Amino acid sequence: MFSSKNMKLLTNPLGDSNPITVQVLGICSALAVTAKLKPAFVMAISVLVVMTLSNVIISLLRKTIPNRIRIIVQLVVIATLVILVDEVLRAFVYDVSKQLSVFVGLIITNCIIMGRLEAFALANKPWDSFLDGLGNAFGYGWILIVVAFFRELLGSGTVWGYPVLDKIGLYDIGYENNGLMILSPMALIVVGIIIWIQRSRNKDLIESN
Amino acid sequence: MNRSNLYTFMYASVMVIIVAALLSLAATGLKPLQDKNEEIAKKLDILNTVGLGMEVGEADSKNVYVEAEFDKFITESFVVNAKGERVDGIDAFTINLTKENAKEVDKRTLPVYVCTHENGAQNYIFPVLGKGLWGPIWGYVALNDDFVSIAGVVFDHKGETPGLGAEINTPPFQDQFIDKKIFDSSGKFVSIQVNKIGIPVTESSVDAITGGTITSKSLEEMLYDCLSVYESFINKQK
Amino acid sequence: MENLINIFVKGAFIENMILAYFLGMCSYLAVSKTVKTSMGLGFAVIFVLLITIPVNFLIENYILQEGALSWISPKLAEVDLGFLSFILFIAVIASIVQLTEMIIEKISPTLYNALGIFLPLIAVNCAILGGALFMQERAYNNIGEAISFAMGSGFGWLLAVVGLAAIREKIRYSNVPPALRGLGITFIIVGLMGIAFMSFMGIKL
Repeated sequence: MFSSKNMKLLTNPLGDSNPITVQVLGICSALAVTAKLKPAFVMAISVLVVMTLSNVIISLLRKTIPNRIRIIVQLVVIATLVILVDEVLRAFVYDVSKQLSVFVGLIITNCIIMGRLEAFALANKPWDSFLDGLGNAFGYGWILIVVAFFRELLGSGTVWGYPVLDKIGLYDIGYENNGLMILSPMALIVVGIIIWIQRSRNKDLIESN
Repeated sequence: MNRSNLYTFMYASVMVIIVAALLSLAATGLKPLQDKNEEIAKKLDILNTVGLGMEVGEADSKNVYVEAEFDKFITESFVVNAKGERVDGIDAFTINLTKENAKEVDKRTLPVYVCTHENGAQNYIFPVLGKGLWGPIWGYVALNDDFVSIAGVVFDHKGETPGLGAEINTPPFQDQFIDKKIFDSSGKFVSIQVNKIGIPVTESSVDAITGGTITSKSLEEMLYDCLSVYESFINKQK
Repeated sequence: MENLINIFVKGAFIENMILAYFLGMCSYLAVSKTVKTSMGLGFAVIFVLLITIPVNFLIENYILQEGALSWISPKLAEVDLGFLSFILFIAVIASIVQLTEMIIEKISPTLYNALGIFLPLIAVNCAILGGALFMQERAYNNIGEAISFAMGSGFGWLLAVVGLAAIREKIRYSNVPPALRGLGITFIIVGLMGIAFMSFMGIKL
């Protein structure tokens, strides 16, 4: 069940084939929600749920899906799961769902999910697809959470709403929050820096100019 | 795999039926919880207008806290019509302002909330709703029991990315409204003007948002439209 | 009229789809290598937005919203189909893209050659669905405002993609640190473009 091949499915997307930093997929719906850790975390969980479930469902149905309407079937499965997630969020974490607003809906067009369904789930067994979905969702989620962590810490001086910098007395010696970090373009620059670090460590990933 | 048209068609139909059933089930099942959340948010807005319910962050359970505060301070809520007469049989809380605003003025039903403070002072709270440039804006206006001066306001709009959008929901802007008068000295209804910075502030006007002319103007219109319909009611109370 | 221009300006510059919300990033990064292809995709996005947003606007206002069905029968005034909006919007987008592709192929082979390869890409472009969802969230009053919003956001998208492509064409001759080449530097450039566009935020309408 956890053969070395399966473990690769789970661990590869965390590093060398990370959906965001290497495959450049699914940036659209995600980065605008990374100004604070909490919405980023909820977003990561939502993507995780939609991704693994849709991978498993499509993989179970893979022998029955007529080829001609395959894209529509995938979209319907994803959209249904996203609506369910949205309804649950609105029922149980109302504040966060208000902050995420349209971005939950945009999970539907998250290219990672469509990409994994097309490239993996349509041709593999449910358990493998489950692991693949889980791995890619984690690969996506950790980038989101790292970006949100730095933006919240440097931009608002808090971590998960807790005023860390205030407690250690940084403001008393003249430190100021960097308001620029809250603005959305900084999310891209932080991802750019993550890519820089990752590629400096793994020379194989370097592109030609 | 290529299959016959019939198979494809059947497949699509079955899929649509399953999905529709699943979604309707979830939507109806979770509706009570979602409505509850919206109700709590609304009650909290009403409380905030008169400076209550501020300790919501420290409460163990937000819902319990808001409900308790609301029941304690909002002692009465009722519905009036544009002539200022009470209308019986309608719960003020269930009124949908979007629908009311679409009606003719004399057919509208207008909710009023009465807040009684611990020292016995009373505030009358009126909901307002209007169009901003970027979608709806809404809020609540509370009057003191002289029915002339404002005790407090809350405004909001749908938020997207922080930093973008109008700043009508910030305390510096909203605090300007406190003690402003919606009637002039002769008792004529004047609402509150939202003027460009630089124009001298009177007892019935406030400064606009920096550089936000259009949003400020739509806010002014909203206040005029939504408060003027209460004029007869207010005059009867004085 | 003034209102329509305001909505256009706001959609194109102040709340640019890409630079403020990152919508449509995947295809944005993929096609922004040369100015010519980016122009093609940019026009395709405007084209599709201009069709899908008004259609979705009608669906939202006459089918989905609470009470929207009352034009069929007053008994249906209480029905709220809002929970179906995601699935209906994406279905409309996918089918309209498919339909447009077929129509363009029949009517104008030249236009098809220019836009054709981009159309399938667009069905899953977040900017299109994002446009529909923003339209729903912002509750425009009439179809004119929705069209103006579609024009504005589409134009903003075109502007951003052509701008980035122009920069990337030039940056090929620069000496970028090896690990930053390609994707890394592109992300940082888009970030800087976003900051530059933020100066439009000073225009508060």
